[in-house]
Amino acid sequence: MERRTFLQALVASAVAAAAPSTAALAASRSSLRYLRPPGALQEQEFLEHCIHCGQCGEICPNRCINYFGMENGLGSIDTPYIIPREQGCILCMKCGEVCPTDAITEIERDFEAILSGVDMGHARVDESLCLSFQGKTCGVCYRACPLPDVAIYVGRLEQPHVTDECVGCGLCERSCIQLPQAIRVFPTRA
Amino acid sequence: MAAPTINEGAAVHHKPFFLWRHLNKLRWLTLIIVFAMLVLLPFLHIYQTYTAAHAYDLLSPGEKQLYDVMESIAAPFVSDPAEDLDAVKGNTWSGSFWGFKISDPLAALGQVAASLSLYWPFLLTALVPVLATIIFGRFFCGWICPATFIYELNSNFASWLRWAGIRVGNRRFDKRIKYGVLALGLILSAVSGSVLAGVVYPPAIIGREIYYTIAQGGLGAGTIFFLGTLLFDILVARRGFCRYLCPGGALYALLGRYRLVRIRRIAETCNDCAKCNVVCEFDLDPLRDGFGQECNNCTACIAICPTDALTFTIRPSDYPEQGPGHLGQLYRKQQATEDTDAAS
Repeated sequence: MERRTFLQALVASAVAAAAPSTAALAASRSSLRYLRPPGALQEQEFLEHCIHCGQCGEICPNRCINYFGMENGLGSIDTPYIIPREQGCILCMKCGEVCPTDAITEIERDFEAILSGVDMGHARVDESLCLSFQGKTCGVCYRACPLPDVAIYVGRLEQPHVTDECVGCGLCERSCIQLPQAIRVFPTRA
Repeated sequence: MAAPTINEGAAVHHKPFFLWRHLNKLRWLTLIIVFAMLVLLPFLHIYQTYTAAHAYDLLSPGEKQLYDVMESIAAPFVSDPAEDLDAVKGNTWSGSFWGFKISDPLAALGQVAASLSLYWPFLLTALVPVLATIIFGRFFCGWICPATFIYELNSNFASWLRWAGIRVGNRRFDKRIKYGVLALGLILSAVSGSVLAGVVYPPAIIGREIYYTIAQGGLGAGTIFFLGTLLFDILVARRGFCRYLCPGGALYALLGRYRLVRIRRIAETCNDCAKCNVVCEFDLDPLRDGFGQECNNCTACIAICPTDALTFTIRPSDYPEQGPGHLGQLYRKQQATEDTDAAS
C-alpha cells in the first residue's frame, strides 16, 4: 500500500510540476516566418489535430515540408512547416489527401477549390528591393506563380502586383532573383 | 486449419500444434519487414521526387545510384512511380495503404485528449488495431513495433555483455508505472493542446527519426531520447522501457486485458525448467501460469520450451495456477507424499 501511495504522489506531483511549464513551452513561438501546408487548420486547431506522423512530408513531391524540432515550442514539435524561400509549395494537394486527422484538410486539386480553400499566407512586394520597380524588367515572380493574372498581375516593366486571391504558396518568394528577396509570403496564421 | 490439440477438452494427448513453436521466427520476420519498410519508404519518397521533377540528368552520382536502386526495386510494381508509389506511406504511428488509413490507438487517444473532442474520421482509423488488440492482446509490442526490433537486439547485446563479464542492470520496478506515464502523456496533451503522447513513444519516434535521417537530412531530438531508453534497458532494467514506462504499451495492455487468444501452460508436460520465465522479455511468469494483460503473445516461451508444454488457447482469462509441472521433481514429491498419506 505504501508503494502505491508513493506512486500516486509521484505522478500527482509530476503532473503538477509539468503542467504549467508545458503549457508555457507549448505556447512559446519563435519569430520564424513559416507557413503551414496548404489547407492546414488555424494554428491552435491544427496543433490539436496533428499527430506528428510525418506523412505530409513523406508524400510531398517538392520536398518543401520540413518538421520542427524544439525551436518553435514543445507544442510544435514534429509538426510540418514550409519556409517559402527554401522551397515553395506547388499546390499538388497530396498532403491533405494523406493527412489522417484532417489537420490538413483535403482540398481537390482544382482551380476554384484551391482559390477558396487554401490560405497559407499572402505575398507582399518590397518595391525598394524589386528589380522591376528599379527599372530593370524582371517578372520572375509572375512567371513562377501557379495562379498568374489571378493572384498576381504585372504592370509596366513587369512590376508585380499581388491581389487578394493570393494563396501564399511561396513559389514567387522561392523564385525571386533578388538577394534578399523582394517578394515575401507572410503567413495568415491566427 | 485448426489444430486438434488446442482444444482444452481434448486431454488425450497434450501436444501443441507443431507450428506454434516456429511462430517466433515468423515474428522476427515481421519485425524485420516492418523495420525494412520504414527504411525503404523514405528512399522511395526521394526517388519519387526525382521522377516527379524529371531530374535524372541533374542528379549527382550518389543520387543517381539511389535512383537506380530504387527504380529496380519499384519497377516491377509500378508504372508511374511519382504517383503510384503514393499508395503506401507513413509509419506504424499512422500510415496509409492504398487509401486505407490505419493509426496507432495511442495517436487516437492522444488526439482526443489534445482537442478534447471526438473526430470520428480519424478515430475510426484506429479501429482495426483496437479490434486486433482486443483479440490478440498486446501483440503490437511483440510483432510490429519497430522499437521492439531494436530493443530485443539490445537485450541480446546485454546478454553478450553479461557473458563477457560486464554487469548489466536487471532491476525490477512496478509494471503499473507505465499507466501513470500514459495518464501523464494524455494530461500533458490536454494541457498543451498538442498531441504530446507520441513524443515519448518509441515506435512513433523511430518512424519519424528514420524518415528525418534519410529524407530530411538530420536526426531530431527523438533519437537522443531513444538512445537514452536503450541505455536504460542495458544499465537499469532489461526491456525496462517497454515493461515499466511505455505509454503505448500501457494502452495496448489495457485493451488486451481480456484478449481471446493467449498462451497457456500444459501442466501435464511441464517439467518446471523455468526457461520460459528466463526468456520472457516482459518478466512474466509462464511457469506458474502468470501471463496477465502484459503478455504480448511473442511466443518466445513456446519456442524455447523443451517439453512442448506451452500452447495457444482461446479464453478471455488466464488458466488459474495449475501447480507444479507433472514432469518435474516437485510434482513427483507431492504425489509421493499424497500416496504415503493415502496408504497410512
